[in-house]
Amino acid sequence: MSHFLLMVLFALLVSVFFAALWRRSPRDQAILFLQLFLGMVGGGLLLAWLMYPFPSGPPAPIP
Amino acid sequence: MANSEPDAAPAAAESREPDTPRGSPMAAGVLAWLVPGAGHMYLGRWGRGILFLVLVLTSLGVGLALHGKLWRVAPGQPLSLLGTLACMGLGVPYFVLRFLMDYQGDLVAQGYEYGAAFILTGGLMNVLLILDAWDIARGVKE
Repeated sequence: MSHFLLMVLFALLVSVFFAALWRRSPRDQAILFLQLFLGMVGGGLLLAWLMYPFPSGPPAPIP
Repeated sequence: MANSEPDAAPAAAESREPDTPRGSPMAAGVLAWLVPGAGHMYLGRWGRGILFLVLVLTSLGVGLALHGKLWRVAPGQPLSLLGTLACMGLGVPYFVLRFLMDYQGDLVAQGYEYGAAFILTGGLMNVLLILDAWDIARGVKE
């Protein structure tokens, strides 16, 4: 599974969890879910874009 | 005119009455720790309890599918205690994995660190669920 899909899955799980935990009405839950999910995925993509010019280098050795 | 004020107060108080029965905070907390979502189910919040159970087990399942690390206390590594406590938040699944299945994760697997993040997240989610169930049982939250 790609790193991006794992990030989306992680954001999905955490967003649904906190929306159900912190809000009661379905409308408030949907708003918080979208804020968290888009914030995490968008923030991840933004960080990836900012790091794009930097070389990744060789893979780290396995300890 | 003066009669309208006293009538409104009892009505407002009745509207704040809980619509579902509450249970013991200790029982709710212990159940919530042992089985994710069980504390909410015990308090009559079946829908949310099942949703939380699915979310925590999904997080754990993804972590296991990636062969992620299940934290254990390592001598000389104090931070491993925090990771272990977070994983122990999973309750029964943690002890089944650790003591019955001797699961540790696969150090050379590609998803070792990613899986560890999913497993840790599942445990920390359940810690929050314990606190939420405790507060609901005490009447602090609905």
